Amino acid sequence: MHAHEIAEPYPVMSAQTSALEAARLIARERRPGLVVIGPDGAPTAVLSAAQVVRFMVPDYVQDDPTLAAVMGEEPTAKIAARLERATVASLLPREPEELPVLNSDDTVLELAAVMARLGSPLAVVMDHREIVGVVTASRLLETVLGDYQ
Amino acid sequence: MIFSVVVFGIVYVLIATEKVNRVAAVLAGAGVILAFGAVTTEDAFYSTETGIDWNVIFLLFGMMVIVGILKLTGVFEYVAIWATKKAKGRPFRVMALLSLITAVASAGLDNVTTVLLIAPVTLLVCDRIGVRPVPFLIAEALASNIGGTATLVGDPPNLIVASKSGLGFNDFLINLGPVVVIMLVAFVALSRLLFRKDFVADPEQVAEVMTLDEREAIRDRPLLVKSLIVLALVLVGFTLHGVLHIEPSVVALLGAGILIAISGLRPKTYLADVEWETLLFFAGLFVLVGSLVKVGVIDQLANLLVAATNNSVPIAMMVLLWGSATLSAIVDNIPFVATMTPVVSELVAPGGQYAGQNGLWWALVLGADLGGNATAIGASANVVVAGIAKRNGHAITFWEFTRYGLVVAVVTLLIATPYLLLRY
Repeated sequence: MHAHEIAEPYPVMSAQTSALEAARLIARERRPGLVVIGPDGAPTAVLSAAQVVRFMVPDYVQDDPTLAAVMGEEPTAKIAARLERATVASLLPREPEELPVLNSDDTVLELAAVMARLGSPLAVVMDHREIVGVVTASRLLETVLGDYQ
Repeated sequence: MIFSVVVFGIVYVLIATEKVNRVAAVLAGAGVILAFGAVTTEDAFYSTETGIDWNVIFLLFGMMVIVGILKLTGVFEYVAIWATKKAKGRPFRVMALLSLITAVASAGLDNVTTVLLIAPVTLLVCDRIGVRPVPFLIAEALASNIGGTATLVGDPPNLIVASKSGLGFNDFLINLGPVVVIMLVAFVALSRLLFRKDFVADPEQVAEVMTLDEREAIRDRPLLVKSLIVLALVLVGFTLHGVLHIEPSVVALLGAGILIAISGLRPKTYLADVEWETLLFFAGLFVLVGSLVKVGVIDQLANLLVAATNNSVPIAMMVLLWGSATLSAIVDNIPFVATMTPVVSELVAPGGQYAGQNGLWWALVLGADLGGNATAIGASANVVVAGIAKRNGHAITFWEFTRYGLVVAVVTLLIATPYLLLRY
């Protein structure tokens, strides 16, 4: 089976999109992450749900996780406001990372290998410069285990 | 002689310009010195005159293990939040208390560790009371360098001086403690003036700080008790050096060993905070400086210093104090002190030009430690604080730090000047 056969349509966003909008989409549709595209429509990054969650935590709490305990409940409005002030670009790692991008004729094993190596919850399937769709980890497992009794 | 001086010079320039990682620079330099036979392995590894100072290496290692375990208990966060609540979130009081906590902690621990522990809490507190955290972070870095001056274990240059001079924990505390207390009082008063525009907070937000629960910071109460007991025993061991005749390095290693045994932690956890790079840096540096000792460069430096100071102890102290401070403001104070220690050692040794004049040691330590405050790159704590601030979206520019740091460095050195001249 080839990548294009299991790829599904998937929402994409630009790096300038509001972080709150991206977070809402992930939450509403239970997505493992989103594909970030550049002005030419080509993928530039994968924003995982974990990266959005990480942004909810102030950097100083990431430096010293003990502080999360002393702070008590962080008002949800404050977290939402922090996301509203940010863009998708600010949620992404500062250094560009290798993209989980595969060709449409790549095999399921190649897909799994790339996703495992990069620790990505999804992979983008391309046909030349066009995005064919996205394969998520759950879709991949569903494909592999589908007929197995 | 020329070969050793050239290698040392190249390494020093590489460290100062930060063109190459400092550990790589000293290890490469030490490797070249050894490979070309300027020093033998006997000189480098076994000699107390020209070799690696294992007392310093193991004292650092032992303290890193103890602090690494103590850090896991959450005691620093507890104390910082407790103090902030005692200050009722009023910005100046918060700054003064956090600075004093940093200074006291720095006297017992490494400066970098102290600021790494206090900076995240400071960011949280400033976030809650709605003030800019930059002045608070700068004040803490400055306080850490002042506080670290007071004890043998407070700052790496002090460890080097202690090991070569034979001066003990109590000597440091008695000779530097009082003047450091005066400096801290002056620093707190000065910070009221220097950062006066940054003490405006929203009263409603200030009230928010009272909702922080410091008790939640203590994650492992039994470990906290064990760690504090061991730390107290180690400090007692340091102070009883004159009675027990156990080197501080052995005391620290014993403390670390006992704490490892009774904590039941895994090696990955208790070794997590050991800065292997720092230990290697010291080892390489000792080999390089040892080669200068062996070929007689240090003797010549000592003679030059005697000639320049006209056989006068007060002039020698002032040259060491202000010279060390100036150089430490620009370059890493550890290689500088490692180089100057054998020079001063020769001068104050029996038969030396300034035999028995320990004031020279204190001038070197005060200059090297306090000079680091003058610029953003003068001390490791400054660099670490700037990095944390930047990561949290509050970049500290070189000049912003230096604007405050230079004033504090000059004021503390002006306090040290009459102290040295009158006391020694």
